Amino acid sequence: MKSLRIICAFLLLIAVFCSCSLDSKYSSEFFAMDTVMSVTACGKQSETAVNAIADEINRLDRLFSVQNKNSEIFRLNSEKQLNPSDETLELITRSIEISSMTDGAFDITTEPLSRIWGFYSGLENRVPSEKEIKAVLPSVGAEHIKIDGSTVSLDKSTSLDLGAIAKGYSSGRAAKILEENGISSALISLGGNVRAVGTKPDGSPWSVAVTDPDNSSEQIGVLSVKDRAVVTSGGYQRYFETNGKRYHHIIDAETGCPAQSGLKSVTIVSQDDTLADALSTAIFVMGLQKAETLYNDNNDLFGAVLITDSNEIYITENLKDSFSSYHSYEVIKA
Amino acid sequence: MKNRIWIIIFSVTVLVCTAVWIGLSFFPSPSKIVGIYQNGSLVEKVDLTAQTGERSIELNGDYGKNIISVTHGRIEMKSADCPDKLCVKHGELKSAGSPIVCLPNRIVIKFENQSGSADAEAGALL
Repeated sequence: MKSLRIICAFLLLIAVFCSCSLDSKYSSEFFAMDTVMSVTACGKQSETAVNAIADEINRLDRLFSVQNKNSEIFRLNSEKQLNPSDETLELITRSIEISSMTDGAFDITTEPLSRIWGFYSGLENRVPSEKEIKAVLPSVGAEHIKIDGSTVSLDKSTSLDLGAIAKGYSSGRAAKILEENGISSALISLGGNVRAVGTKPDGSPWSVAVTDPDNSSEQIGVLSVKDRAVVTSGGYQRYFETNGKRYHHIIDAETGCPAQSGLKSVTIVSQDDTLADALSTAIFVMGLQKAETLYNDNNDLFGAVLITDSNEIYITENLKDSFSSYHSYEVIKA
Repeated sequence: MKNRIWIIIFSVTVLVCTAVWIGLSFFPSPSKIVGIYQNGSLVEKVDLTAQTGERSIELNGDYGKNIISVTHGRIEMKSADCPDKLCVKHGELKSAGSPIVCLPNRIVIKFENQSGSADAEAGALL
C-alpha cells in the first residue's frame, strides 16, 4: 500500500513537471510599428497577458505612428500644435531629456531628413542633393519643440518621428502588463528590441544574442540577462544601396546624412526600456569616444556592446559578467 | 520492504525514460522543423530533414510575390518582389534567434523549436 502511494506521488511529480513546462507557455506574433513583434510568456495568465500586450501595442502604434493619418504625431506634424494624450506628451518630454543628455545625438525631429532619404514606406529610397539637405537642417533639433503645460507646438517646418524610442516605451508597457498578470517569466521582442522579464521558467537567466552586423544570420556574442531590455541599433537593419554605396536609416541630425561615427552596431542593456531604445540610436550617432564619456557619467543606467567599423568589440565594465563571446573584446571601464 | 520500494521507483524511472526515448526516436528532431507564417498565421510547417530534392513555396502579399526555396536541411528566401529584399539578403535560415522576415509582405520563416541557441536576438527582426 505504502509503495503504491510512493509510485502515485512520483507519477504526479512527473505530471506536474510536464504541465508546467508545456501548458502554461503562450506565444504570439504580430506586425505593428512597421516591424514584427513576438511575445512569449510562461504562467497561468499567459494567454490573457500576451493578447493584452498585442492590443496595447496596436493602441500605442495608433498614437505614435508617423504615417497613420489619425495618430497624434501625424496630427501634431500637420497642425504644428496639439494637446496630446498624457502618454504622447510623456514620450515627447522624455525624448527631449535624452536629446539633451546625449548632446543632440538623439533627435526626434529628423523626420524631414528621413523623408528626403525616402526611409518611409511608400517612398523611394534616394540620395538627396546637398542643397536639399541644407534646406531641411535649420528645422531639425529639439529646440524647435515647445511644451507649454499640456500643449506641444512645433516650429513651422519641424516634424517629429518617435520611431527611435516608441518601441522601447512599448516594451516597457508590455513588461508592466506581464507584471500585472503575475507573470515572472517572459521574453518580448519588438522588432529586435528585446525585453527579458524575470528568468526562464527553470530560474536561469535569459540568453539574448547580439547579431553580427556583417551577417545577420550569425551572432557575435550572447548576453545573460534577467529583467533587462536589450536593444540593438545597426546600419544593417534598414538600408539601400546606390552605385555600390550603402546608405543606412540612422540619420545624424548634425549632418543630415546616415551617421558615420565609426560604429556599425550598438547594443544597450538597461532596466529602462525607453532609455535603452533611445541610447542605442544616440550612441550609434555619437561614436565610441563620446559613448565612453556618456558611460562614465551614467554607468548605473546602462551597459553597452559596441562593434566598430573595423570589427573591434567593446563592452562596458558592468556587462563583464553577463557577456560571452568567441571573439576577443575590450572592456570600457567607468 | 524498503528494497522493494526502491526497485519499484527504479523500474518506473527506467520505464519513463524508455518511453521518452522511444517517443523521441519516432518523432523527428524539432530543431529542423520550420514554420512559415504570413500575417501572423501559420501557412505551413516544413521538416527540413525530410525534404528531398528542391521545392519552391510561393506566397503573395501587398508587395508582390515571394519564393521560398526548401532543400534537404536548408531553407531560404530565393526571390521577392518587395522593395528592400532584406529577406533575400538574409540568406539561409541558421538560428532560432534570427528568423527570415519579409516586412512588406508580412512573412516570417523561423525554427519552431531549436534548442541550444539563444532565446532571442537583439537587432534581429524578431
